[in-house]
Amino acid sequence: MHDKRIVELYWARDAEAIVQSGRKYGAYCFSVAKNILDNHEDAEECVNDTWLDAWNAMPPHRPNVLRMFFVKITRRICLDRWRRRTAQKRGSGEVPAVLEELADCIADESDVEEELIAKELAECIRAFLRTLPARECDIFLRRYFFTEPIAEISAGYGITNNHTAVILSRTRNKLKTYLAGEGYFNE
Amino acid sequence: MNRHDLYKAIGEADDELLERSERKKRGRGHRKPWWAAVTAAVLVIAIAAGVIVKTGVGMEHASAEVIAEAVYPEMAPYPERDGFGFEGEEDRSAYRAWREDVRAQQMQESGYTDGLESFFSAGIRQFLSENEGENKVFSPINVYLELGMLAELTDGESRQQILELIGTDSVEALRTQAKAVWNAQYRNDGVTTSILANSLWLDEKIPVVSSALETLADNYYASSYQGRMGSRRFNRMLQDWLNEQTGGLLEKQVRETTLNEQTILALISTIYYKAQWGEKFDEENTLSDTFHALSGDITCDFMHGYGVETYYGAERFEAVSWKMDNDSGNMWFLLPQEGVTVENLLQDAETMDFLLNGGDPEKRKEVILNLSVPKFDITYETELSEGLQELGVTDIFDSSVADFSPLTGQADGICVSQANHNVRVAIDEKGVSAAAYTEIVMLGGGAADPEEIEMNLNRPFLFAITSHDGLPLFVGCVYEP
Repeated sequence: MHDKRIVELYWARDAEAIVQSGRKYGAYCFSVAKNILDNHEDAEECVNDTWLDAWNAMPPHRPNVLRMFFVKITRRICLDRWRRRTAQKRGSGEVPAVLEELADCIADESDVEEELIAKELAECIRAFLRTLPARECDIFLRRYFFTEPIAEISAGYGITNNHTAVILSRTRNKLKTYLAGEGYFNE
Repeated sequence: MNRHDLYKAIGEADDELLERSERKKRGRGHRKPWWAAVTAAVLVIAIAAGVIVKTGVGMEHASAEVIAEAVYPEMAPYPERDGFGFEGEEDRSAYRAWREDVRAQQMQESGYTDGLESFFSAGIRQFLSENEGENKVFSPINVYLELGMLAELTDGESRQQILELIGTDSVEALRTQAKAVWNAQYRNDGVTTSILANSLWLDEKIPVVSSALETLADNYYASSYQGRMGSRRFNRMLQDWLNEQTGGLLEKQVRETTLNEQTILALISTIYYKAQWGEKFDEENTLSDTFHALSGDITCDFMHGYGVETYYGAERFEAVSWKMDNDSGNMWFLLPQEGVTVENLLQDAETMDFLLNGGDPEKRKEVILNLSVPKFDITYETELSEGLQELGVTDIFDSSVADFSPLTGQADGICVSQANHNVRVAIDEKGVSAAAYTEIVMLGGGAADPEEIEMNLNRPFLFAITSHDGLPLFVGCVYEP
């Protein structure tokens, strides 16, 4: 079924929307959830929760790229699930390594999180990504959005793990400089 | 801020960047020399072939025939002239005849290009963003017509997906638009050649609905041929057609183009575009200089020219035009600002607005331009199937769901197996003497003296060849001239 039709079903409050979403994008969202959670049942639950979140979001939303709309929800739900689970010391997945790497981009970590800052930070990251050459940006997103293992990214681009790690490291440095330039911290 | 905040913020990345990141890099595509050297100032040829395959079709005897033939409009030749104008009644009358024919083609119903931007923009991003560092060219208009023909030959969801991609509501609206687009680009006056040539090659065993082929001939100027796939005779017919559409210049290369016996239907479109510069580059001024390629500095031949042209100053790029002779369009060169890459420009909204709609008129001005541009001759061969599927056209590639019933009256097991897009663009110094009458028109009476600027295309840049109505016939990236 075409995306436009699926969105229409959500807007019409037709439960078929969830069936069709699962059929078309279930496997896709599951692959990302699995990267983050490394646990089949948890990943499946998060994907099921994705359709419910989407149900609550449409209307008023009318996503342009439905696949990305869903996967962003999945990713957010998975991160919450991962954080709760880490508190209980269950499972691992790619997230610990990914977060460790991202810590390189921050000079002084603090736990103060405000809604406004989160929004500004997201805008800042979007602007940063647009400054990157295509391949660097793509690889950065494979790692830090889709949370893919480095070996998988390397295989996808036909480069060595070391090469991928170097590209990621350079991009993180760029991000750190960019964030400092935007006043998030002093380098 | 902590690492979780950062991870969360990355979750809000732009959809288009995320989509792009999913297209795993598959390594540099191979370059295949398709065409022999040519002598035109600007020569561009694109051949797009969509091949539909059905296995297990038996072949018996070899016959080949034209089953629907497109008739191209007639056009008066552009009169030869000495010096700066047309002197004498005979010359002026020949010029008027040419002018009337050109106008008749160009004067299409207003708004005929509406809705094309979205497909052109998606296509340019999709097919030029791969393989950074590799010279690339894409012809949005060529692929648009090919998709239009595919929409005519399909039904149901197969058709719907195509219509959505090319931004039209119905196949009837598409037909009207495609015909207008085709006619507006058509030029065959002895000086400029711009022909969007379309054709269908059908296997002899396929029952066809002749009205579908007539529709294609009438609206897409597509000729249809039927014969035994894989036979020498049918391949010869195809090669003759290609030679005819490309003015016979590519005879040697066309000889390598054949269809095999598994093919059930091939859609082959070509654009043959050949024009001369309005202001030629003097060969004596062509000098070797350094081009700063991504892979390091290289030496190549730079042409140097001087003329009254249009300059466009944007935030992330500067662009200048270089006019073609006898009102046949423009070549635009877009040079990214320092620190901005060609890839950045392809994702930049202002660049796309400029390429597709001409951008903000406030940012345009007439200037005296000193242009330094490397000679280049680039060939790009790409397979469109995957990209088209990423853009939402999936069913025609899947034999279990593809619906080609308007063509065959039945819809079993037929699907598109490949969609090649081959383009070559070459520019050199050649051109006619100064076309004074066009310059006069452009400057207008009493205009203020234009500013003089220099543009040196000595690092990777974008180019576009636009027709008189601003539609991009070709868009490309030059990384290494």
